Amino acid sequence: MFSKILIANRGEIAVRVIRACRELGVRTVAVYSQADADALHVQLADEAVCIGPPPASQSYLQIARIMSAAEITGTEAIHPGYGFLAENAHFAEVCEACGIRFIGPPSQSIQLMGDKAAARRMAATQGVPVLPGSQEPVHDLEEAQRIAEEIGFPLIIKASAGGGGKGMRVVSEPEAIESGLAMAGAEAAAAFGNAAVYLERFLPDPRHVEIQVVLDAGGRGIHLGERDCSIQRRHQKLLEESPSPALTPVLRGAMGEAALRVARAAGYQNAGTVEFLLDGDGHFYFMEMNTRIQVEHPVTEMVTGVDLVKTQIRIAAGEPMQLTQVGVIVQGHSLECRINAEDPDRFLPSPGKLSNVRFPGGPGIRVDSHAYVGYVIPPFYDSLVAKLIAHGHDRGEAIGRMQRALDEAIVEGIQTTIPFHQKILRHPEFLAGRTSTRFVERMLSEH
Amino acid sequence: MDLKELKALLRLMEGNDVEELEVEEGGRRVRIRRRTAAMPMTAPAVLPAAAGARSATAAAAPVALPAAEGAGLIPVESPMVGTFYRAPAPGAEPYVKEGNLVEKGTVLCIIEAMKLMNEIEAEVRGRIAKILVENAQPVEFGQTLFLLEPA
Repeated sequence: MFSKILIANRGEIAVRVIRACRELGVRTVAVYSQADADALHVQLADEAVCIGPPPASQSYLQIARIMSAAEITGTEAIHPGYGFLAENAHFAEVCEACGIRFIGPPSQSIQLMGDKAAARRMAATQGVPVLPGSQEPVHDLEEAQRIAEEIGFPLIIKASAGGGGKGMRVVSEPEAIESGLAMAGAEAAAAFGNAAVYLERFLPDPRHVEIQVVLDAGGRGIHLGERDCSIQRRHQKLLEESPSPALTPVLRGAMGEAALRVARAAGYQNAGTVEFLLDGDGHFYFMEMNTRIQVEHPVTEMVTGVDLVKTQIRIAAGEPMQLTQVGVIVQGHSLECRINAEDPDRFLPSPGKLSNVRFPGGPGIRVDSHAYVGYVIPPFYDSLVAKLIAHGHDRGEAIGRMQRALDEAIVEGIQTTIPFHQKILRHPEFLAGRTSTRFVERMLSEH
Repeated sequence: MDLKELKALLRLMEGNDVEELEVEEGGRRVRIRRRTAAMPMTAPAVLPAAAGARSATAAAAPVALPAAEGAGLIPVESPMVGTFYRAPAPGAEPYVKEGNLVEKGTVLCIIEAMKLMNEIEAEVRGRIAKILVENAQPVEFGQTLFLLEPA
C-alpha cells in the first residue's frame, strides 16, 4: 500500500479521496489554489501545497506544479478525482515517467477512450451495439444522403470535434439534410474551429444508463451494475439512481458483459464507467467510456456495499481484486441528488458565503460535501455544493428518505437547486420510474 | 504579533515537540499547526479571516505579513512549487544576504522544480529586509520568500 497519496483535485471529491486514504492508513497531500486556502480538503489533508492563483488553468490544471508538489512531499501516487486532469492521458504519462503511480487506467486506455469516434469503432468490433452512423466525418451532401438512407430517420448531425450540445442538428426527413449540414457545420466551425460533422441515428427519448466496471492489473474484471442518469439538464446530470427501473436482470447481464468487453479491449484497469443509451424497446447502444471515478459513484457504493475509491487505490497499489462477479449483490435502491449553487429556476450560478449549513442525517442518508458554515463558494470552479444520497430497501423507501433529506437540508447564504430536486421527487413520472433524458425538459415546460 | 514573535513561537513548538498552538492577543487569534519537519510552511490559520485579505495573500504567508506590507515592504513571492536554495551550489556563497541592495533583475535565489533550477529575480530595486525561508526548504506557489524595502 502507498504511504502517501496526493489528490490532484478539490471540492467534495478531494474530501472523498482523503477519507478513503484515511481508512487505508495512507498519508494525504492536498493541492490548492489561492481561492481554496480555506477549503475543507486542505483542512483534512495531512499536508497541503498551494499551486497557483484561482483560475483552474493556472492551478489545478498546472501539471508541472502538481508534479513539483508531489516531488517535495515524497508522494508515491496521485489520485486525479474527476474533471481537471482525470482524463488527461498526458498527465497520466507524466506521472508514469516520474515514477509516481497514477490511480486510474493506463494512459493508452485514456487516450483510446478519449477519442469518441475511435471508441465507438472499437466497441463495434467487439460486437457491442453502437448507434448506426457514419464511421468518419461526411464530406459532402451526396455522401450524407447515402449514409442517411442506411442509418434511417430521425438522425442527428454532430460535430466531430466537440460536444456540449453545439454543432448538432436533428434531421427528421431527407429534404432537411442539406440545411442541417450547413447549420451544424457552421456552428461546429465557430465553436471548435473544425467544421467536420458526422451522422448518427437519433433516439428521440432514450434513457442514459451507465455500467460501473472495475478491472485489476491481473486481468480480473467485474461490473457493479448500472446507474440510470436520465435526469439531466443540458447534458448535465442532476439525479442518478441504481438500479434502473428500466432494466431486467437479463438486460443488466447483457449490458454488464458488453461493458466489460469494451473495457478489456481498451486494456482498461481500475474503475471506469461505460455509458449506454437505452431505447423504449430494451435496445442498448454504446455511447462512450469514462476513464475515471464519476461524480455519482456513491449510488453504486450504497447498493453494492463496495467502496469504489478504496478499491481504486488498492488496485493501483498492485493488490489483486478480491471482488468477484458472483460476490456483487445489489441490495435495495439508491438515489443521488446533486445540489448545486445555482438558482433553482434559471440555474444561474450563485457563489458566495454559506451563512448556515445543516445537512440531513438518519437512516439511509449519506452526504458527500465540502461545504461548512462560513465557507465561501468561489466563482472559479463548478457549482456542486453537496451530493445527497439516499438508500432504502426498495425504490419507494429510497424516495421517501430522499424527500425527507431534501426537506431537512438547510443551505443558506446562496441559492441552491434543492427546490428543483423537491419538484422532481414529487413528479408522477419520476415516482412511476418512467423518466428519460427529456424528462427535465418536459417538467420545466409544464409551467 | 509580528514575524519575530511568530518565529519564536515556532521554535518554542519545535523545541518542546508541540504540534498545535493557539494564541489570542489583542483581538487577533493565531493557530499554528505543525506538519512534519519537512513541511513547516503549511498554513498557519488566521482566525477570524478577513476574506478579502486571505484571497489576496498567499495562504502560506505568515500572519504578520499584512502588517509588514503596510509598513511599505514589498514581498517577493514564489512563482512556483519547489525547493528553495540560497546559493547557486552547495557550499557556495548565497546570492543575497539581509541588508544587501539589489537591482531589478538581480538573482535572489534558486527554486528547484523537477530537477530544473530556476533563478528567481528581483522585480524592483531595493534592500533585502528579511529572508523568510531557509535553505533547502520546500516552498509553494505564492509563498513569500523575501521582503524588500524599496530604494
